[in-house]
Amino acid sequence: MVFELPDGSTRTVRCGAEEHVLDAARRYGLQLPSSCEQGWDLACAVRVLEGRVDQSDARRYYSEDEQARFALICTAKPLSNLRLRTHASDEMREHRREHRLPAPHGRWGRTR
Amino acid sequence: MAIRQKPHATGKVKAGDVTQRVGVEQLEARGVNVQELIEKLIDAAGAEFTTYYYYTILRMYLAGNEDYKEICEDARLEDRAHFELITPRIYELGGSIPYDIREFADRAGCPDAYLPGTGDGKRAPGEGTGQGPTAASILEVLLEAERCAIRTWSEVCDLTFGKDPRTYDMAARILNEEVEHEAWFIELVSMERDGVVRPSGHFRRGAPGEAPYSKNAGFYNP
Repeated sequence: MVFELPDGSTRTVRCGAEEHVLDAARRYGLQLPSSCEQGWDLACAVRVLEGRVDQSDARRYYSEDEQARFALICTAKPLSNLRLRTHASDEMREHRREHRLPAPHGRWGRTR
Repeated sequence: MAIRQKPHATGKVKAGDVTQRVGVEQLEARGVNVQELIEKLIDAAGAEFTTYYYYTILRMYLAGNEDYKEICEDARLEDRAHFELITPRIYELGGSIPYDIREFADRAGCPDAYLPGTGDGKRAPGEGTGQGPTAASILEVLLEAERCAIRTWSEVCDLTFGKDPRTYDMAARILNEEVEHEAWFIELVSMERDGVVRPSGHFRRGAPGEAPYSKNAGFYNP
């Protein structure tokens, strides 16, 4: 799977079918935002540009999230090859608000 | 030699102005995004509050495991103490908790600690099966709730260290207790579910909900 990072660079990582995407990224030394690590808050949100994920391990994930192609990678497993745009928590929070769905407001690593 | 401006010399609050807070201004002068910090603290307060609520239910279903019940009670009351500790800090910083408790619960930064077998709180436990949740399944919920709290408070410590000593002190106290809670529940899950001894290194609190770090010198914790 390929991660598109905020600085415009990309990183390619292999992820097992039963592995969470965030764990695979960490195995490759790629440090991405995360907080609850239970698929609840939105710190680890990404945009799924290509491919599909299994989000059944997430504690809170809505069909609207899937339709808008957001994923919470702390609990997402790959169902295909993936291309993911990282650091999408602000976008996902906005999406949740537009759909009147729950969204923690705190942003990961952003108090400075 | 270059003159280095002192952070505390950058103030702008005028004498008698009660619309501004020097306690906020000084954080901003040190690079803290106070609004972002407030939002994060509200999410964290929501998590402590919902945890307190759900632990109230979880402990009820530890009947017959009186030792587990008491330990769950310690964690429950200490999480309430954390909520009590965080809330004044939110207001000091100029924020407020939501006026609607539903909004507060929805924005909690950690998952609801539902009683196992309730379909995420949608039905009574054992409905249709007659089987209530096991002690091991309840302890697993408690363990994962504590782990989320540790991640949250570690992040708040990282974000405030060297910039906001008051919030840092609060977060560090809460983190101390959350780390202890995780150790308790690792010990209990490990023995109850797997029959393996993994000592927490602790024995017991004093009175229930003693909260040795967050209540021993509360800066505002009546």
